[in-house]
Amino acid sequence: MVRFSLSAVGADRPGIVAALTGALVDAGCNLLDSTMAILQGQFAVLLVVSAPDTVSAQSIETVLAPAARRFELMLAVRPLAGSVPDAADAAGREPWVLAIHGADRPGIVHAVTAALAEVGGNVVDLATHLVDRGDTPLYAMTVRATLPPGMAQSAAEHVRAAAARVGVRCSFHRDDADIL
Amino acid sequence: MAVVPVRLLPDPVLTMPAVAVGRVDDAARSLAVDLLDTMAASPACVGLAAPQIGVSLRAFAVDVTGHRHARSCHGPFVLFDPRVAEPGEAVVAREGCMSVPDLTGDVARPADLTVTGFDPDGRRRSLRVDGFEARAVLHELDHLDGLVFLDRVAGPHSVFARKVYR
Repeated sequence: MVRFSLSAVGADRPGIVAALTGALVDAGCNLLDSTMAILQGQFAVLLVVSAPDTVSAQSIETVLAPAARRFELMLAVRPLAGSVPDAADAAGREPWVLAIHGADRPGIVHAVTAALAEVGGNVVDLATHLVDRGDTPLYAMTVRATLPPGMAQSAAEHVRAAAARVGVRCSFHRDDADIL
Repeated sequence: MAVVPVRLLPDPVLTMPAVAVGRVDDAARSLAVDLLDTMAASPACVGLAAPQIGVSLRAFAVDVTGHRHARSCHGPFVLFDPRVAEPGEAVVAREGCMSVPDLTGDVARPADLTVTGFDPDGRRRSLRVDGFEARAVLHELDHLDGLVFLDRVAGPHSVFARKVYR
């Protein structure tokens, strides 16, 4: 089996997911992982699929082409190398959630994520919301990140200081899961 | 009686820890009236903390009367210098805030607890609250520590845009 990543972006319309996944079945692909989002009316999907060795990125693109044309999607299919360990899952790393909010201005995401990177943090999930009420727009960002073991306190101080320099507040809480 | 404009994030009064009220005097009683009146002016509002009306003092009002998710219900009440004890197991539910009217979020909070504080007559009150009333109390207590629900959401996909807030 071989694996491919596939991304598609375009104006949101009903039927995109159905068309793409139908074509993927026709192309002999099996979905391994997927996520989608609609941002400001733009639909985006990111998939990892597996397929028999006879399937190529080009053959997948050919089978998906009619759906991509019909929905005016920008499509990209790439073969993936053999299994690559996920940095986020590296043993011993600690999962944290960061909540950032404050008056909107350019550079908030960069300031926070650069500070995180400086302390060895790895962003594994991130979403932002801009609430533009006309007076003082609110920017809210939530990040799931993993940190090297034992680094949480110093990382939190470092990231909070960087957040404060761009005028936003950052709080940390452990991303604990109760395994039942 | 006074309905006071509700402060919206990113107003800095919402992210600073509030100061203890101490003695319950006429100013504190006036604050209690403002909290209850402002809360009552918005039918969907089940709780309001003093920082939300621009007063950085440790006081809040809660009223879950008639709310479909309420279990315990102590009617409208105001507490000064509140403290929480004996929190139970956490449950996750979606909540919103008058000060963050465009977003909601999934937050884990203890399902029951005892909240103790002083009422507007200066008497010590201790209330056992559970379910939605417990959530409302904890949400308001967070405001007194300069926290909003966004600080407690479970993760990046636990914040939701909201179109209408009344």
